[in-house]
Amino acid sequence: MRRRLPLPILVTAVLGGVLVVLPVIALVARAPWGRFGKVLGSEGARTALRLSFEVSLAATALSVLLGVPLAWVLARREFRGRSVLRAMVVLPIVLPPVVAGVGLLEALGRRGLVGGWLDRTWGIQLTFSTAGAIVAATFVSMPLMILAAESGFRGLDPRYEQAAGVLGASSGYTLRRVVLPMVAPQLAAGAVLAWARALGEFGATITFAGNLQGRTQTVPLRVFEQLQTDRDGAVALSLVLVAISIAVLVALRERIMGAR
Amino acid sequence: MSLRATVRVRRGDHVVNVAFEVADGETVALVGRNGAGKTTVLEALAGLVPLESGLIELDDRRIDALGPDRRGIGLAFQDGALFPKMSVRENVAFAARARRTPAPKARARADALLAELAPGVNPDARPPQLSGGERQRVALARTLASAPRVLLLDEPLAAVDASARPGLRTMLRDTLAAFPGPSILVTHDPVEAMTLADRLVLLEDGRITQIGTPHDVRNHPATRYAADLVGVNLFEGTLEPTDAGAGRLRTSDGELTVAWPDGLARSMTPVVRATLAPAEITIHAERPEGSSRNAFQGSVVEVAIAGSRARVRLATTPPLVAEVTTGSVERMGLAPGTEVWASCKAVEIRLMVPGFEPDTL
Repeated sequence: MRRRLPLPILVTAVLGGVLVVLPVIALVARAPWGRFGKVLGSEGARTALRLSFEVSLAATALSVLLGVPLAWVLARREFRGRSVLRAMVVLPIVLPPVVAGVGLLEALGRRGLVGGWLDRTWGIQLTFSTAGAIVAATFVSMPLMILAAESGFRGLDPRYEQAAGVLGASSGYTLRRVVLPMVAPQLAAGAVLAWARALGEFGATITFAGNLQGRTQTVPLRVFEQLQTDRDGAVALSLVLVAISIAVLVALRERIMGAR
Repeated sequence: MSLRATVRVRRGDHVVNVAFEVADGETVALVGRNGAGKTTVLEALAGLVPLESGLIELDDRRIDALGPDRRGIGLAFQDGALFPKMSVRENVAFAARARRTPAPKARARADALLAELAPGVNPDARPPQLSGGERQRVALARTLASAPRVLLLDEPLAAVDASARPGLRTMLRDTLAAFPGPSILVTHDPVEAMTLADRLVLLEDGRITQIGTPHDVRNHPATRYAADLVGVNLFEGTLEPTDAGAGRLRTSDGELTVAWPDGLARSMTPVVRATLAPAEITIHAERPEGSSRNAFQGSVVEVAIAGSRARVRLATTPPLVAEVTTGSVERMGLAPGTEVWASCKAVEIRLMVPGFEPDTL
């Protein structure tokens, strides 16, 4: 027979559950269901949605392109400062996004360390541009890609790579033909997580790239702006992000919540 | 001498320090207990672990500074290490594809090698679907497909069902015999070592304790381990049919009656090797009666007692090593010089016939 839960534990557990679930319930309850399509179909909302998908997909692509080789180096090569580099690489996961934005501004802004040179030499300005929004989203999402890929690489028996080497394959060919196919599930999971993070990115984007409709105003930025003027629109767009988050959770349930 | 290696490698607390040579066409068995450093030597030769000191020369050219992909050394890993996401055919074609051979040519060559070495394996299957023996055949085909100068085999029979071993052993022996370069076989199985190799290199705790032909090591084991290891009786000679189901193996120092292998044509066959486990030999004070077709008279040369078992070397024709209980030693008063009879059943003598794979389950 199961023992009864002590009252204090029962009460705190219920409170905890309510705190987590209530906001999502509230979004569903307060949504403008009658004119949902009309709200989302407005030009401003459509622009933000399209921009959000473009920015998040570009950031995901960059995370894969730059993050996977870095993860491979971290997993398979031994060099001085590797543990420091590994810590630096995952720092953006715990860094406050607004701080990330300030850092990007000081690095790549018009008067930043590298940004000034970019502007003078190539005429490239990342601030207030879609490219800037992509850089901000990549900065916060790539660590998730790197973590997933590195754990995939580390979990792989090195003998497959050794066998490929003895058979005369270069490191690049081995990575392409042997390693990547074997860690494809981990890479896919990392890419989906990175994409979800990029899609929800707010703080670094608004700090570094600003809030320009059609250029840097992604869905989270538009939700924040509309809260003052059009509450229904804000709630409707929020529900779109909730739906995507739930879809990601379902797709990755085994990886995020552990195999049941 | 074609492959010459002086290798010192550190693995954690263990140091492996060996020097040996292997000639073209020769097969050397690197024999030792688990943890003796056998696999480490192979990995060092293949360039997978760095040398602490030493040198590796192939055809008088130093190769120890080259990467694994440029040494011309082929290594078949213990469980095959086949790429699980590729078909069997793609696995075997891998080496050629890595060197930019066009796909159709690489696949055709892979199919030809597979037909020869792994005839029962579907080239479109994935490695996880294969049995241990099939994986080993494919791994060998994959290694040979890279056209190596040197062939290294790491415990090729260890992950294989007992029922699949005889066939695989025959295939290995034919492959090693046909391989033109030096080959090295790592094993802890004395039968495998003595039937597949021309010379044995015995490794204990990272050091070589003896190098010699199976015959040398059996007659003059340098260490206790060597004596235990080569306690298996090994015969080589000509096989000829006698009466139904039986045959005679004529060796240079005696004859044995053997069971004729099912499926082997009943005609004279040269260069057949056979092994007989010492425990299968019975020692008698008088000439044995009954069904034993193999009865040999001779004197005891040596009695070595280990626990409750004793190894008895006999000057019979052919010479034999038997394993009996210490009780039998006392009961029959076995000591050097004692005249005894030894017998064994014909079916206990295991034959290895070149090019013939016995039907197995």
